[in-house]
Amino acid sequence: MTEPTTAAVTQSLTAPMPSPAGWLRFRNWALRTPFIQLIVLIALSAVLVALVPAFIARPQAAIAVLVLASLLALAAMGQTLVVILGGLDLAIIGYVTFGAMIASNATSRLGWPVPIALLVVLLVCGGVGAGVGWLCHRFRVQPLVVTLGVGVMLAGGSMFLANGDYNGQPPQELKSLAQLSGTTFGLPVPPVIPIVIVLGVLIWVVLAKTSAGRKLYATGINPRAAELTRINATAVWASVFALSGALAGVAGMLIAAFGSGWSQSIGEPYLFSGLAAVLVGGTTFGSINGSFTRTALGAVILTVLSTIIVSQGLTESQSRIVYGLIILGVVALYGRERHVRDRF
Amino acid sequence: MTRILRFLQRHAWAFASLLALVLLAINLLVSPSFLAPDRLPATLATLAPFVLVGFASTPSILSGGIDISVGPLATFINCLFVAVLLPSGLGDWYSAIPILLIVAGAIGTVTGLLVTVARLHPVVASTGVLFILIGLATTISRAPVSAPPNWSDGLAQSYGWMPGAAITIGVVALAWFLLRRTTYVRNLLATGESDVSAFGSGVNVTAVRILAYTIGGIFAGVAGIALSALLQSSQSSLATMYALLGLAAAVLGGTALGGGKGGLLGTFFGAVVIYLLQQLLTAIGVQPSLVQFAYGLVLVVGVVLGATLLSPRLTRSRA
Repeated sequence: MTEPTTAAVTQSLTAPMPSPAGWLRFRNWALRTPFIQLIVLIALSAVLVALVPAFIARPQAAIAVLVLASLLALAAMGQTLVVILGGLDLAIIGYVTFGAMIASNATSRLGWPVPIALLVVLLVCGGVGAGVGWLCHRFRVQPLVVTLGVGVMLAGGSMFLANGDYNGQPPQELKSLAQLSGTTFGLPVPPVIPIVIVLGVLIWVVLAKTSAGRKLYATGINPRAAELTRINATAVWASVFALSGALAGVAGMLIAAFGSGWSQSIGEPYLFSGLAAVLVGGTTFGSINGSFTRTALGAVILTVLSTIIVSQGLTESQSRIVYGLIILGVVALYGRERHVRDRF
Repeated sequence: MTRILRFLQRHAWAFASLLALVLLAINLLVSPSFLAPDRLPATLATLAPFVLVGFASTPSILSGGIDISVGPLATFINCLFVAVLLPSGLGDWYSAIPILLIVAGAIGTVTGLLVTVARLHPVVASTGVLFILIGLATTISRAPVSAPPNWSDGLAQSYGWMPGAAITIGVVALAWFLLRRTTYVRNLLATGESDVSAFGSGVNVTAVRILAYTIGGIFAGVAGIALSALLQSSQSSLATMYALLGLAAAVLGGTALGGGKGGLLGTFFGAVVIYLLQQLLTAIGVQPSLVQFAYGLVLVVGVVLGATLLSPRLTRSRA
């Protein structure tokens, strides 16, 4: 009988695990990529076309679905980053309301040109978001509560500034960005779709190819380890929440342009459906597999789904029920936590 | 000064009660008839849904999770009672109360099972349930349905000298008081503080957690009844507002969102603070939009104060 040599023991500890084969390998791959979402989307689109054949004859209908989906995806873009960081941004409600209010009222009542309005929205929402992120990380406060409070403050503040005036109209150049009659370089596609795609590619580049993206994932997965590798976690939190605010504010402007105006409850559906899009896409709290690609897929899935539901004569409230069931189902596939027994 | 601070740190409810006293004094200055005996039942009836939804969100937070679906659950119970039970002849108190509480408790249990057995993140699980409940409530009553005269009316006024709302709040407070006599609440706090340690000490963490959500659901059912008593109609549109208010009351009352610290007394004072603030701002003629702004501000300031000045643990929890 021979004693194992030190070298053999060391090698057995440092050698990589054998990569799994067969079904296990496929399962790991399917969970790492948005494979399931893609399958679901294709299936749902087939169902939609089968139920409503008009979708083939009139591309306008498909473009309408895509415009709704891209507005939802834009509102959920910042939320995706926040969820990767392990937080939650409920202030989306306030950012969207503020953006919509500026886009509708400041432009028509005060005569602000669109670039000024955009700048104000970016500065205010981004600044508020940065403050929230700093506060949450510096004092170890749950972002859930702080963003909740800030969202209510922003929504209330927007209504106070508007002074009960809900009749403002966004200017024509803003409307042509989001409304269905808009065209991009002669194509019958409203510019909002390419805008969201370009932003999505940018986010992908930042998340996957730059050190900023690595820092974001690292902080989300293990804040303590991230700080020990000298990542400035406070800066990461502040910039991610700032980005979330700025993007949601811009989404609010485009949502107001799409709907030709605003109301006090304009932000609410985008908060909850946006969160649903993030979760259905398969991004969970502090996950390495989270990305905006997933959220965009989630947004399209949800929009196609609610189109199907509404086309079958059911109501918006029934699509809420289906949303809830889908969130629970998808997250049960992806984001299950470990049992206490296994953490003991 | 340090002694006051230490007292505030030790008793989670003390800060909220102090704030409530100050606001009560200002309220009395602005409108001296605020606490007049003939206005008391109506005042308490308006306060009851705030307090009860806050109560409902407390057990799950104490267990280390969170249930953001209790507000929508309360409005769902309200819609179920006014738009389904009353028209179908099941609206008598001896049939309606058990049905409503069992339904509410069952929905709470489902959320608890999703959190513990399916092991979903509490925020995700309760968001899913929130969607389902809001959908169900708007399906039952798309537009507000007004209720015919029924027994719940008395809960918003008074029985003899006893304000009706004192019954709804009192029943829940009594239930919690009795629970505190058992080991359950101690196990609950231990689980919230550190589920791993509690598990190691032989606490059945899963059962404790599920029960916390069930209790929250039942409390939300009582909140739904109090809401029906107050409104006498079904209002599915209040769901998100109550989802926010319940959380705000619990957090202002010193219940730590990480779990393991706090209780119903703090939540009570937290809800009172929110209510008094709303009353005060309305009484001095502030616009509703600014009242909303003030809600948010109080919530942010409260939670930051709670995490810094009033928490002895800040230095320890730095990474």
